[in-house]
Amino acid sequence: MGSLVRIGSFIGKELREVIRRPGVLLSTVIGPFAIMLIFGLAYSGNRAPFLTEIIIPEGTNLPRDPEYYADLAPGRLLVQDVGTDADAAEERLRDGDIDLLIIAPEDAVTELRSGHQTTIRVLWNEIDPVYNQLAGLATSILVSSLNSQIIEAAAEEGIAFAEGELGPAAADVPPDVIANPTTAETENLAPTEPDVISFFGPAVFALIIQHLAVTLAAFSLVRERLSGQMDRFRVAPVNSTELLLGKYVAFGVISLAMAGIVGGLLVGVLGVPLLGGWLAFVGIVLLLTFASLGIGLLISLFADSERQAVQLSMILLLASVFFSGFVLPVTDFAEWARYLAYALPVTEGIALLQEHMLRGEVQQTWMIGVLAAIGILLYAISLIRLRRVLRTAD
Amino acid sequence: MRDVTRAFEGRVVVDDLSFEVSPGTILGVVGPSGSGKTTTIRMLTGTLGRNNGEITVLGEDPMHFSRRVRGRLAYMPQLFSLYEDLSAQENVGFVAALYGIGPFRRTSRIKRALDVVDLLDSRHVLARNLSGGMQRRLELACALVHDPEVLFIDEPTAGIDPILREAVWDELRRLRSEGRTLVVTTQYVSEAEYCDQVALILDGELVALDNPEALRRLAFGGDVLQITTDRPVDPGLLANVSGVQSVRQPGPRTLTATVSDAGALTPVIVEAIRVAGIGVAGLEEQQPTFDEVFTELVEQSRARTNGGEANG
Repeated sequence: MGSLVRIGSFIGKELREVIRRPGVLLSTVIGPFAIMLIFGLAYSGNRAPFLTEIIIPEGTNLPRDPEYYADLAPGRLLVQDVGTDADAAEERLRDGDIDLLIIAPEDAVTELRSGHQTTIRVLWNEIDPVYNQLAGLATSILVSSLNSQIIEAAAEEGIAFAEGELGPAAADVPPDVIANPTTAETENLAPTEPDVISFFGPAVFALIIQHLAVTLAAFSLVRERLSGQMDRFRVAPVNSTELLLGKYVAFGVISLAMAGIVGGLLVGVLGVPLLGGWLAFVGIVLLLTFASLGIGLLISLFADSERQAVQLSMILLLASVFFSGFVLPVTDFAEWARYLAYALPVTEGIALLQEHMLRGEVQQTWMIGVLAAIGILLYAISLIRLRRVLRTAD
Repeated sequence: MRDVTRAFEGRVVVDDLSFEVSPGTILGVVGPSGSGKTTTIRMLTGTLGRNNGEITVLGEDPMHFSRRVRGRLAYMPQLFSLYEDLSAQENVGFVAALYGIGPFRRTSRIKRALDVVDLLDSRHVLARNLSGGMQRRLELACALVHDPEVLFIDEPTAGIDPILREAVWDELRRLRSEGRTLVVTTQYVSEAEYCDQVALILDGELVALDNPEALRRLAFGGDVLQITTDRPVDPGLLANVSGVQSVRQPGPRTLTATVSDAGALTPVIVEAIRVAGIGVAGLEEQQPTFDEVFTELVEQSRARTNGGEANG
């Protein structure tokens, strides 16, 4: 009974302290939520097409109408001009007047007929890796189309050339079919095709839960360690398990309440689908909260000032944004970095919540075990550390 | 506490300290800032270890206090130990729950503790909105809420005004009168007179340990009489009076005599002066302030130390 009363003392105290400072909760929860809302409203999901200039050397038998090339990669390229002066175009690229410069090879058709491969030069001037990837993709589409065009031009100039390759039947085959013998048909097997908000919603939600739990826990014990409270705890008949359980329960309740509000806003206001059940959803949130509180308490037990606790929380947030799969897929990282990524509760949290909410089922069930293991391990470490802190000072 | 020593990074902060505290008394641990008072009280509460010596509180070593003994102790640290966002009664309630007091008993205990420190009317005020003095009283209420037998109170009057300091001491003496034992540190030397026993600490060493009156006598070697005459007087007049230990002459018509017993020697001194043809305009026993007592004892201690070093 005494233990329950002591655990209850921490629960009551923590709840009251948090409720008395609602601004902290609001800024932690509403802040990221508002940013996501603005992001969702402002971001169309479609990147603006690359402003492109194409250089077709004199004497090359390729179309010179910009509209023609725009149709080859619709939505991705905005062909501003088709010209012949490569140097002037390159200068414009350096000045930032255009995004992409594509230079067709000289006399590509003749080269093709003589069995030589020609090179299409594509230039851009950008340091953003995401931009580079998109530019590369758009370029490959355009280059593929240009290749087809070159082959088509060659075929039109002499079907005999194609007959040499395909036999007599080629005479009945239209040149554009020879140039494009296959077509692609795409299909997405996922149960939903989420928009930007729906896709990032569960990830932001997981990040909010982790950040809230970490910051709440991190500052609580730091303050007590730096004030006379820790000496009071050392003298009072309270042990580290009671103290830690009180904190876990209190912050767990607060985090769950906040999760309920944010989750409700996500589903009810932003229309993020919740294809899985509410119960399993709460279970995932509980596990994520449990593991995240462990990190927060660990920070609070090792940080020697509130400032350091803030710094460590921010470092964790930054690491979470980069490594958790929030921005870039975890599988894109080197293997050693993936271990770091999976050690962050939010990594499992994002994957589990996205699968549960957007697919209706958790496919990577092993992540549930990992999340629970992280939580238990961090609880154990926090307990050992707190025992040392509460022990008589050396 | 016997032969206790504590050093931090090679610097001795408490040096071979020994004293006992009788149940139901107030022991004042007095000394200037940095003299080792807080280190001493933290070792007594078990929040700080020691390098040498023995400490026993309620029959147990503070390093290994049982839960039962912890429940009979209270510690009011020198550092701020309130939760600013909790009200006065919530702060006291939190500490009550720490000591295992259930919600049904808690309400009356909180009320009583707040009443004792005269904060009942401010029970709903957040700790951050209380004045410095009220916060210190609230910390005292937190220490009292579980009805402890032994209280360790570190600098209860630091930073609060003289009127409030007196009120705090009134409260501590009331607790003593209820049979509780208190160990109280203070840097205000004058507060020593509120204590039953005073341990005077300087540079981690015990300079003196006795009741306040005995310390006065220890400092000046006896009672102090101030004699005013109607004309200039020679201090040698009293040199041969039995029981007069020393005579100083602060002014031509003033003598300050340290005597073994002021009551018995007053008429003898008056007569010795009168016989010399000098009238005694006034004679009164001086009550040196504790600041003077403290200064005298410290100077004596330093003189002994310097003498010892010189001889060594």
